[in-house]
Amino acid sequence: MDIKKNKYYKLWIKDAWPYITGAVLLSLFQIITLATTGNPWGVSGILANWGAWLYETAGGSVDKWYYFSSEGARRTLENGFMNHGGSLRNLGIIIGALAATLLSSGFKFKKIKSWKQIIAATLGGLLMGYGARIGFGCNIGALFSGIASLSLSGWVYALFLFLGAIIGSKLLVKYFM
Amino acid sequence: MKEVELDCLGEACPIPLVKAENKIKELEIGDVLIVQIDHSCAMKNLPEWARKEGHNVEIEEIDDGEWEIIIEKVK
Amino acid sequence: MDEQKSTGIQRSSTRTRRTRKKKKNQLPFGVAVVLLAVVFGILLGYKNPGMPIFWITGLTFGYILQRSRFCFTASMRDPFLTGSTSLTRTVLTAFAITTIGFTAIKYGAYVKGLPMPGQSYIAPVSLATAAGAFMFGVGMVIAGGCASGTLMRVGEGFSMQIISLFFFIVGSLWGAHDFGWWKLNVILKGKAIFLPDIFGWIGAVIIQLIIIALLWIAADKWENRKNLA
Repeated sequence: MDIKKNKYYKLWIKDAWPYITGAVLLSLFQIITLATTGNPWGVSGILANWGAWLYETAGGSVDKWYYFSSEGARRTLENGFMNHGGSLRNLGIIIGALAATLLSSGFKFKKIKSWKQIIAATLGGLLMGYGARIGFGCNIGALFSGIASLSLSGWVYALFLFLGAIIGSKLLVKYFM
Repeated sequence: MKEVELDCLGEACPIPLVKAENKIKELEIGDVLIVQIDHSCAMKNLPEWARKEGHNVEIEEIDDGEWEIIIEKVK
Repeated sequence: MDEQKSTGIQRSSTRTRRTRKKKKNQLPFGVAVVLLAVVFGILLGYKNPGMPIFWITGLTFGYILQRSRFCFTASMRDPFLTGSTSLTRTVLTAFAITTIGFTAIKYGAYVKGLPMPGQSYIAPVSLATAAGAFMFGVGMVIAGGCASGTLMRVGEGFSMQIISLFFFIVGSLWGAHDFGWWKLNVILKGKAIFLPDIFGWIGAVIIQLIIIALLWIAADKWENRKNLA
């Protein structure tokens, strides 16, 4: 039997799912995340820890930084990557997406095409990183989890995220394509 | 009736869509636009957009992680 | 979805279909990745029993995001850029479902007199929220992916997103470095607002669901208005 022609392989693994399937399943696992770990899903706060680990590997020190001054934050940094649930979850997202593309035979390493892409990725990454720290999270922690937690901050975040996306679109069309 | 190819390999959303939108405006009715993509999201939003505009759309998987979206301009 | 359905386009005779490279079957590699992920999860469990759940949910989030092409960036960007709101509406649907699920969990803890989980995600509302969200909005559109989207695209093999992930980390560190200043000068002026404290549990959920529904209708009208024009 050729698995590639199997109806259920095509339906669940090969073909793209409808968006709504994604919405329902993400919501389900968002709720599971809150129920099992006691906290909603977050992505970007974890990346600040990755930054601190990299910085310390490079010889820097974040000991005096207010952001990492709480006891919980310091303990997380000391315990390291393999004992930090959020880090493993972020890594899981990468591996899960890799598995999904390979299982559907759709993996391709996409090379950088132009300098514009490098500049866009650099600027975009920096803006997202800095913005997420001062705005208490990213599209997941501050927006998705914020709104789901009945927090006013989630809605304020949504409004300004939308405005930022409009300006970003204008910049993208003008300079990065 | 002509066929135009648009190379969007290596481009992430929304660039393939915006490029296709601009390109199709230049074409005449009956012309075919072939957009080459390797971005799995564009494989979904390009056909969605083209169908909404009323064009004929075909998707062809040409290699692992590479697709051609074939759009025939009908109006 | 009928994406593979042929619509019978008459391809002009000038260009016959190219002879394609023989496709490699990547399925075995996919199975290998899954098996390694399972083994890794089991080993994690021996070392620290709290960890596998994070690993499992991460893998699942990655799989769901990739398969459904769910994209928060597009949900915010496309209404303006292309007039499409299909992702905007699905994101709103996700908000509605999670609102109900989260509230059930929190309310369950509340009536038992237990501390409610996840209350640290109720962040203070200040100018920093607005500035941060705005920066994030600009960044995710030009980088072609939000936080979860960037991670997912790294897994998909985008080298551009490897660069944006690296600079996301650098930016996070930069933000963490400046956080003390923001906290002292901006964030402390704001207040965290948990909607049930103002409207009551039922009131907060109903008001939020009504807002989501109104936005959903507005998004639908916006899409069709653009269509007619």
